[in-house]
Amino acid sequence: MGVFTYFAYFFIVFMYSVKIVKYIKLPVHLRWELYPIGHEKKSKYGGSYLEEKDWWQKPRKKNTWKSFFSLLREYFVLSDYAKRNITYWIGIYPWHIGFLLIITFHILCFVSGLLLAKGFDVSSRSLGFGSKFLYYGILITGSISFFSGMIGSIGVLMNRIFRRDLREYATPLNFLTYFFTFLVFFTGFYSWFFTDPEFKEYRIFWAGLVTQDFKDVGFWTMIHILSFDLFLIYLPFTRSLHYITRFLAFFLIRWDDEPNIPGGRLEKKLIRLFEKKVSWSAPHIQKGKKWGELARSIP
Amino acid sequence: MKIKDICKKKEKLLRLKKDEFMELPFPYNKGDFEPELRELTADQFQTIDASLDGISALGMRKPKSKEEENELVRKFISGLEKLLDPDNNWTFLMPLHHSLEYCVKCQLCSEYCPIYVSSGKKEVYRPTFRAEVLRRIIEKYVGNKGRLRLKLSGSDIELNWLTISRLGELAYRCTLCRRCAMACPLGVDNGLITREIRKIFSQEMGIAPKELHELGTMQQLRVGSSTGITPKALSNIIEFMEDDIEEKIGRRIKIPLDKDGAEVLLLHNAGEFLSWPENVEAFAIIFDIAGIDWTLSSELLGYDAVNYGVWYDDIQFTRIAIKHVEVAKKLKVKKINVGECGHAHKAMIVVADRILTEDMNIPRESALPLLKDLVVGGKLKINPQRNNFPVTLHDPCNIVRLMGIGEPQREILKRVCTDFREMEPCGVENYCCGGGSGFAIIQSLNFPDWRSSISGRMKLKQILEAFQGVISPEVKKYVCAPCSNCKGQIRDLFNYFDVNKKCGIFYGGLVELIVNALDDLKKPFIEWEWH
Ligand code: SF4
Ligand code: SF4
Repeated sequence: MGVFTYFAYFFIVFMYSVKIVKYIKLPVHLRWELYPIGHEKKSKYGGSYLEEKDWWQKPRKKNTWKSFFSLLREYFVLSDYAKRNITYWIGIYPWHIGFLLIITFHILCFVSGLLLAKGFDVSSRSLGFGSKFLYYGILITGSISFFSGMIGSIGVLMNRIFRRDLREYATPLNFLTYFFTFLVFFTGFYSWFFTDPEFKEYRIFWAGLVTQDFKDVGFWTMIHILSFDLFLIYLPFTRSLHYITRFLAFFLIRWDDEPNIPGGRLEKKLIRLFEKKVSWSAPHIQKGKKWGELARSIP
Repeated sequence: MKIKDICKKKEKLLRLKKDEFMELPFPYNKGDFEPELRELTADQFQTIDASLDGISALGMRKPKSKEEENELVRKFISGLEKLLDPDNNWTFLMPLHHSLEYCVKCQLCSEYCPIYVSSGKKEVYRPTFRAEVLRRIIEKYVGNKGRLRLKLSGSDIELNWLTISRLGELAYRCTLCRRCAMACPLGVDNGLITREIRKIFSQEMGIAPKELHELGTMQQLRVGSSTGITPKALSNIIEFMEDDIEEKIGRRIKIPLDKDGAEVLLLHNAGEFLSWPENVEAFAIIFDIAGIDWTLSSELLGYDAVNYGVWYDDIQFTRIAIKHVEVAKKLKVKKINVGECGHAHKAMIVVADRILTEDMNIPRESALPLLKDLVVGGKLKINPQRNNFPVTLHDPCNIVRLMGIGEPQREILKRVCTDFREMEPCGVENYCCGGGSGFAIIQSLNFPDWRSSISGRMKLKQILEAFQGVISPEVKKYVCAPCSNCKGQIRDLFNYFDVNKKCGIFYGGLVELIVNALDDLKKPFIEWEWH
């Protein structure tokens, strides 16, 4: 099980990385921004630097941190959903919180595994602040995550089944995902509630992972860990990466208002793109030409 | 209705019934005020496919043989492959990739679409509908996918000629206003997907509404303007406008044409010269009073800022953008200012920014900030009492939501009018006029009816609501629309619903209001003549 867990983590990190690199490496696109733009000083009403006469002569101030944190904040509140469709939010919110906390739970378990491997104690009786923090952190994130994720899985499933507009657009993969997440959160919840109320087995399991001296755990904990591993392997085949690509979409597309400055890096990239051969075949597009040649040709 | 119905043999996927459309406010909430949507004539019906909703924007011919059907499918798939290829579609592949891959189909965007809502929430007009059709086609027909993957991804659409024809029409049931995109928490852009579908049709299959392609970009590249105005005709029009200005303000102004080395090259949508010359005249009056060093151009394309390519074809778009800049370079102007034309703003200042490299990168800006500086800075003597009638502002999507220019026009209106009232919602949340993405100029078949009764319906509702307290036809009211295409759409919309007669609402540009507020004008500049 330990090896399988290694594999699952490696697999998801690898697959996600491949997808992200593929995304980032896509050619620079023509500007297609949409206002309001997070880093604009006039973002409150959706204004832009183009509201200034001779904008190219004025210094441009970008507040990237502000836009970064505004995006980040959304992960914890999902306010767009809350404002616009509260019934959808009621399902999706606990589901997402379940995910966020299960990631935190695993990170904490990993750290506690490291400490245990080094001979520290991580329990309610630990004397050190760090160990105590880890103990309670694991307890809180794990229990809330499992409960919240379980409820959320049912919520999103209900939404998909009972709202016609959601049902019609759902694919079998969506339903498989809901089922899978329910399984993961339910087994986690069950093992915590009925067999391992302090998540002791998890800490031991993670210590085993760190030292590669794998320890046996109880049946329900094992079922949960296995289902979670399988879930990690399954995730890259879904649209789950939207957690991360949302950032990319905002920074690289929707808020990409970067003007093309003569002599700048962007210009160099663009000039290289004009060399691309184009094979569109409508009558007004001459065959065999490069992009730049076509742009200067007359149909 | 199911998504997979798109490929079903059926006379129409959707039957449009006007009593199912979104209700309008007083005085349109009672009585039978609305014309019936025209059906295609029997002759047209024989040859043209309108099996989506009975409407045709593309005038797609029905294939006459199985070979023609197969050829349509073959070309569509080949176009689709090019759309997903980084060489052929470097221009928009990243945003397209994101929008195709990461929509979670939460439908949060649907309520934000004026067309979907105005139609009475017809499924085919839902922002996610056409995107999902495209997604399922890609899943099934591009690349080799195993059976399990196909089953799990729900790819149940058969790609036959009907699917293609309906998808082509669907790409012209969205104004690319991108209001839905603004609502999407994940950055997915269904407007962009629509535009990319249009590209498959135009760039690979050679299919586009004739007003956009043959009479639009092709004519513009050939004779200089999509209106058909030639450089010679332009000189005559300018002379006429100089006479007209003299008559209106009692002073002759020389409209500078092809002035070498001028500070500003002002580019108008050539539609203004024909349909709203008062807009061009008002610019000339303001620039003259303010002492701006400016010029118009009579070079091919130099007098028509439009670039319809931005709506349907990257190649045509690029060709026109480059021509515009070549004109400016030849005149050695310091910068280009775009007049009151929304899509020309967006095309020339923003989208073309990554086409115009090296010496082609001439500074380009909107005329609105300059106008604001003139009004706010006191260069023009303004008396708002001269505009003592209710005025509301339409925000062209291209200028506001897609460029972030929203304040200058408001600063101006607050100073030149006594009764400026916002529409609700406004600014970046505005609703499209219904004529966006080329709709305003598509006049063929029965599309104009659809454009007024459905795509412009939300705008009409907003306008009526803005004037509810003063809706009687005796009170003259003004919708300020600083965009040629929006004006064209509002004109057609008002004609369709007889708004001018029923409610006394006129429309016009921003500069007309500025000139009308000039303190030393002998008579009003705005003539309140319906045109
Ligand atoms: S485009 Fe965005 S808002 Fe619309 S369904 Fe997809 S994810 Fe939801
Ligand atoms: S871009 Fe505008 S018209 Fe098109 S689907 Fe989105 S909201 Fe509707």
